Amino acid sequence: MNDIVITLLLVGSLFLILGSGVWIGLTLSGVAWIGMQLFSSRSAGEAMAVTVWGSSSSWTLTALPLFIWMGEILFRTKLSESMFKGLAPWVNWLPGRLLHTNVIGCTIFAAVSGSSAATCATIGKMTLPELSKRGYPQDLIIGSLAGAGTLGLLIPPSIIMIVYGVTAEVSISKLFVAGVLPGLILASLFSGYIVVWSLMHPEKIPPTLEKYTFWQKLYKSRHLIPVIALIGAVLGSIYAGIATATEAAAVGVVGSFVLSAVQGSLTLPVFKESLMGATRLYCMIALILAGAAFLTLSMGYIGLPRHLAEFVSSLGLSPFALILVLTVFYAILGCFLDGISMVVLTMGVLLPTVQAAGIDLIWFGIFVVIVVEMAQITPPVGFNLFVLQGMTKKEITYIARVTLPFFFLMVGMVLLLWFVPQIATYLPQQMG
Amino acid sequence: MTLRLNLDRLYDGAAYAAAAMMVLTLVMVVLGMVDRYITINFRGTDMYAGYCMASAGFLALAHTLKRGEHIRVTLLVNMLKGNAKRGLEIWCLIAAVFLSALFAFYSIKLAYQSWDFHDISTGNDATPLWIPQIGMAVGTLVLLIAFIDELVMELRGQRVAASSDEMLHNE
Repeated sequence: MNDIVITLLLVGSLFLILGSGVWIGLTLSGVAWIGMQLFSSRSAGEAMAVTVWGSSSSWTLTALPLFIWMGEILFRTKLSESMFKGLAPWVNWLPGRLLHTNVIGCTIFAAVSGSSAATCATIGKMTLPELSKRGYPQDLIIGSLAGAGTLGLLIPPSIIMIVYGVTAEVSISKLFVAGVLPGLILASLFSGYIVVWSLMHPEKIPPTLEKYTFWQKLYKSRHLIPVIALIGAVLGSIYAGIATATEAAAVGVVGSFVLSAVQGSLTLPVFKESLMGATRLYCMIALILAGAAFLTLSMGYIGLPRHLAEFVSSLGLSPFALILVLTVFYAILGCFLDGISMVVLTMGVLLPTVQAAGIDLIWFGIFVVIVVEMAQITPPVGFNLFVLQGMTKKEITYIARVTLPFFFLMVGMVLLLWFVPQIATYLPQQMG
Repeated sequence: MTLRLNLDRLYDGAAYAAAAMMVLTLVMVVLGMVDRYITINFRGTDMYAGYCMASAGFLALAHTLKRGEHIRVTLLVNMLKGNAKRGLEIWCLIAAVFLSALFAFYSIKLAYQSWDFHDISTGNDATPLWIPQIGMAVGTLVLLIAFIDELVMELRGQRVAASSDEMLHNE
């Protein structure tokens, strides 16, 4: 009984300290430190240093800084411009026309970027002004961009998948491969929504001005070749089993340099900015991961994960009910926390519960990524909303409102994933 | 004024070292791949990549803080005004100084103990562990200095809270 009171006290103080604005990574290690002091005779400080060192120097994690660097390089190229030019001629026949450049552009960029907000910013840089200029409805331009930007997380490479894979000790390569089909399906759902909306409001979609023959379209699309080649090299080498996730990331960094040099955007300042930007971004995540590794250790001493698993199984919930509860739980948490903190904070505690319910950890990883995607677009804290607020200077409440339909499409995706789990599990099983 | 300058140099210097470690991480991974096709008799690239990555992360801590890119929940802080806001910021910084002091103290102790006990990596690189652990010790120490710096500036009313647009393309 006493244990439960102290545990509640710890969880309470965790949220209090987090809420007061103390840096997240430090808060995690602080609460872990208090927990260790209370529950274990081991020196908390020494345990902290050893755990943090072990987790931050592990080989599996090296994929993370490299994929971040790759994203930072590509963010500074002319990729968004060439993507828009290459895609626009192909989507004109679809109801909703150029609105689909948002979805398809984000889908393609997601396959070279591990981040949702970066995907949103890179594609939006080009589509926001171009689509507004042509008179497309603002609600749908912004909504579809915020929604489709989240594909950056689900379509590999993905920062959040690496974080999940390291925390849950699941193969990152398999997670990456598992994300491909759900990512494409979710993208089709987004595009499908645009089609349906446009058929219902045909007067709001401006007519097309450009007419191209098939060969002209093909010629226009030559801009897409470099990025497709890069995707092929990175994801292909993982899927074929030639390279580990880390090696594929190194290939990605080198490939991005080549792509950037070919486009003529690789200058010394760009190189420096991408390197420093990637170092800072990695550092930010590393601090959270360090705190989380120590918190997981400390929670293990307290026995919280085990107690929770026992408690949940005593409830006799069906796995489906468990997933529903977790979806709601993550959706609420996602209003206040960023995705990475959400994953590292909960996985250390939830993992035994999930395993006890007989849920496949690869499948669960994809589930977690989708609910984290939802968190990217829920106010008051949602990174894609912040990005678009910066780019459009509109109220965050407005952006959240126009993005709401895409939030519901993601909820639909979670249900689909539950009823057809093979969407996530089929491809990784083929890898052997 | 010279102290200010020297502190900023310290943070930037550590950050450049971190960036160099980032490049080395890439080099190590690439060498590991090359080694599969041509034997270059350079063992333990996996472990070295891990060490470089760790150093990159730790050495950049202070610089990242100064650029306002370490993530925190700012809902409450942003809602408050005047003295209440200042009070909360001071509490956050005191907590951060305490926690980063713990972090720095035990990181330095870890590196010292590894040196004292001649701890050697269990991998095939057989590196004495204190060498890569220096990155962690130095990085956390510089972070502690940076937090004290921020706290002193906040108390004097000179602190300009860093905010960064960069943060937005983080996730």
